[in-house]
Amino acid sequence: MKASEQSSGTVFDIQRASLQDGPGIRTTVFLKGCPLRCKWCHNPESQRAEVETGSNGKVYGYTASVDKVMEAVEKDRAYFESSGGGLTLSGGEPTFQFEFCLELLKEAREREIHTALETCGQIARDRLISLIPLVDVFLFDYKATGCGEYQRLTRASGELIRENLEFLLQRGAKVIVRCPLIPQVNDTDQHLAAIRAFQQDPRIQSVELLPYHNIGQSKARDLGHAMDDFITPSATEKERWERLTGAILH
Amino acid sequence: MNMMTLTETSLGRALETIEAAEASIEHAWNFTQKFQGLKAVPAAIREARMLAVQFPEILRPAEQGDMFAGRICYGLVGFSPEPVGLGYYCRSDKIRDWLAEGKGSVEIRRKAKWILQYWDGKTTIQKARSAFESSTAEVLPSDNWMEEAGIAFPLYRMGGMVLDYEKLLRLGLDGMEDVAFLPDGFGDGCRMALNVLRSSIDYYASITEDAEIRSNLLAIRHDPPGTFRQAIQLFWLYALHSGTWNWGRLDDTLGPYLEADLASGIIDEDRALNLLCSLWRLMHAYNNMYNNRVIIGGMGRKNTAAADQFALLAIEATRLCKLNQPQLTLRFYEGQNPKLWDAAVTAIGEGCTFPMLYNDDVNVPAVAKAFNVPTEMAMNYMPYGCGEYVLSHYSSGTPNAIINLLKALNLTLQGGVDPESGRRYGEGPCLSELDSFDKVWDAYTDIVDKHVRAAAEAQKTIYTVTGNEAPFLFISMLTSDCLELRKGAFDGGIRYLGGTFETYGNNDTANSLHAINELVFKQEKLSLPQLVEALESNFEGHEDVQALCKAVSKYGNDEGTSDIMAQRVHDHVCNITRDQAKRVGLHNYLVVIINNWANTTLGMLTGASADGRKAGQPLANGNNPASGTDTNGITAFLNSLTRLDPCIHAGAVQNMKFSRSWFGPMRPKLEALLKTYFAQGGTQAMITVVSRDDLEAAIREPENWGHLMVRVGGFSIRFIDLDKNAQQEVLSRTLH
Repeated sequence: MKASEQSSGTVFDIQRASLQDGPGIRTTVFLKGCPLRCKWCHNPESQRAEVETGSNGKVYGYTASVDKVMEAVEKDRAYFESSGGGLTLSGGEPTFQFEFCLELLKEAREREIHTALETCGQIARDRLISLIPLVDVFLFDYKATGCGEYQRLTRASGELIRENLEFLLQRGAKVIVRCPLIPQVNDTDQHLAAIRAFQQDPRIQSVELLPYHNIGQSKARDLGHAMDDFITPSATEKERWERLTGAILH
Repeated sequence: MNMMTLTETSLGRALETIEAAEASIEHAWNFTQKFQGLKAVPAAIREARMLAVQFPEILRPAEQGDMFAGRICYGLVGFSPEPVGLGYYCRSDKIRDWLAEGKGSVEIRRKAKWILQYWDGKTTIQKARSAFESSTAEVLPSDNWMEEAGIAFPLYRMGGMVLDYEKLLRLGLDGMEDVAFLPDGFGDGCRMALNVLRSSIDYYASITEDAEIRSNLLAIRHDPPGTFRQAIQLFWLYALHSGTWNWGRLDDTLGPYLEADLASGIIDEDRALNLLCSLWRLMHAYNNMYNNRVIIGGMGRKNTAAADQFALLAIEATRLCKLNQPQLTLRFYEGQNPKLWDAAVTAIGEGCTFPMLYNDDVNVPAVAKAFNVPTEMAMNYMPYGCGEYVLSHYSSGTPNAIINLLKALNLTLQGGVDPESGRRYGEGPCLSELDSFDKVWDAYTDIVDKHVRAAAEAQKTIYTVTGNEAPFLFISMLTSDCLELRKGAFDGGIRYLGGTFETYGNNDTANSLHAINELVFKQEKLSLPQLVEALESNFEGHEDVQALCKAVSKYGNDEGTSDIMAQRVHDHVCNITRDQAKRVGLHNYLVVIINNWANTTLGMLTGASADGRKAGQPLANGNNPASGTDTNGITAFLNSLTRLDPCIHAGAVQNMKFSRSWFGPMRPKLEALLKTYFAQGGTQAMITVVSRDDLEAAIREPENWGHLMVRVGGFSIRFIDLDKNAQQEVLSRTLH
């Protein structure tokens, strides 16, 4: 692949002063494209890799070069340094545009900017291996437990995801596990028990619970995606999850 | 500081009941009679005699729970530097309204009419206005900035004086008399004024039923205060008599008394806190939410350890009282006791909005440059009012004019004629001559410069007239170098006679100029006449033009070109203002970019603008981006703020709103954010922690709340990007 092709990709947002996507104050770059189709997806505009136009004429995504992205990221360097923050790549699944993702991480490493990668874990092992030295912390999503559950809810079997998580932990990578929880969809006793086990695993930095919200609905409608309705969890429900798992509630 | 609320609360309930009205008019009549008889008397003696009429008449008894004497309610006619009117004032508006209601006996109504007749043309404000050179008066035709559209308006007051209370407490009243008295008119006046204060002490001592208040009053009648409580009592009574409204660095002034009393066991911390809370409530009762500043922390304090002790207690009092006054203000610098910063952030996180934060590492060198004084002197800078600076007891900096820059730009595009009033503000070029951005810029700056010059001339004239009228004895006795020079503060006594100029709409103007440059001259999407037609029709029928205007990048997003235009507008108005000082005979004359409701009031009188703003909408608040136009996150907003040079003005304020979540487990991130902002050149921060009201307002007016970030679940988002249900969900969570 030519250098010029590697050095640009499709971005759908750059959010500065992001506080929840890893340590410190961060700039989160959202890349388009995802191998999963989670039923509750909160960023449905991230699923397809190409630029899309919604029914109201709103354009989702734009092409950006590595240099352009890094120019935006650099603006908050002083805040990264004082807070222990940096760049977070998110999506979609940021590794879906693998070369672009890799270039951004290399560039950040070159510039001594802390990196976080938010991933669904559905990534070929050789690619994951090449990312390890470039990522300071993985924000690893874990979405379902039980036979066939991952397949039913996300369209991926989940085997590779579980194996990749274990692989990262064995390799000593820093991992924060993030668990979206949707009432009556994936909040089974078995899943909550699995999350609790993660919470007790000393190799994992921390486990975060992400209660369902319906922000994806209107974007999905705009893009003509079919999406089921889900229940937004009550405060009591969220407290129960927190109690049962011991994880941090976001 | 804002004239709208300067007066009403201090007048209290003077005319609310028949009895109160009769007493108020009787007092005003007495004052006027006395004044009438003092025509040939030197100004200092006249002032002292009038103070003796005013006090203790306008003092009010202590109320339940007060631990100090000192409540005040100004009369309809009287003398003050700023709380009710400038110098010798007559609130003829109030008296006329009262007469129009047909109330009162024939006798009292006759007196009221005579008062009106007597003061017509004789108040200090009227004398100042009539002393304007005709060329100045022509450019500043109106004083009614709240109701009449215009570019610049004079304001009449001696605002923002901060006195040397350390000297007062060190010397006591007898000691003050020793240093103030010489057998000249000025010395006689000072001695008489101090006797007025002693009479007020006697008055309070005679009416109070509280033995402790009485004994503390009697203790300070002659001698310096011996305890923390006595020190507060003397400070507060003197302050009320001076008619000033900002208290300076009380930590350095009162800290040593607190430290000594705690060390000797005269009081414990709880008692000290009670005393301070009582002072806070008295300040609140004096009531001016645009002033009432207490400063803690900062470079140049003499008694650092004791001052820190007071500062921590002051923050605690603010947390306990939960009042909007006093406006507690923390100055800080690298190396200051970190406990002050920690306590301040905790108080802010609790929703106190205080203390406001001022970064001495940037501000002291900036003030040294702007005021052209040595660094040691710059350490005396005191934020007062809505955010202006003076050098405590060395400089005056009263803001005596305001300008609406956006109005100036709009009139530039309209040939210098206001379409609403038909009034001509300049001989501006016609639209067809504005065929380049440089010509637009030149025409805009011409019209601004003309008004800046007139404002500076007005400021100097107001000083001259005020200085001739009265020496303002209580102010002058605690202001350098009045006693040495035997002159009143505004009559040559003060070391640095300076002034400030309130500018509004700076960033709206920058956004508008940037939009004109982009749309008309660079991208050529519109012609200037097309744009002006859209503005004159308030974008009605020209919604496409408004959309284009709104789409141009705006100051506050850390994006190069719009921020550069903001710098250009800022540099221009600050520099041209600073350059007036020498010309009109002031030590300094500087822009202040402050926040109050003038941005709303002036906005109501300003037509649609090229930034996409519709007629009547508010102007940007202080140095902030126009409401809702900073959409690139808090770091981008902060980076933009630091682009505006602090070395060419006398105070600019930045309001910031934070959600409560920053103050929980995320507090380290907040601290990193603020510290980075300050390390990068941030001067100041006024932090609001978002409340339910803010969220509800964001639902009603999403266009103004683009900056409001909330936590949804696993990520943060702009609140307005949430759909209604999600907003309600966040709202309900906030309730918990």
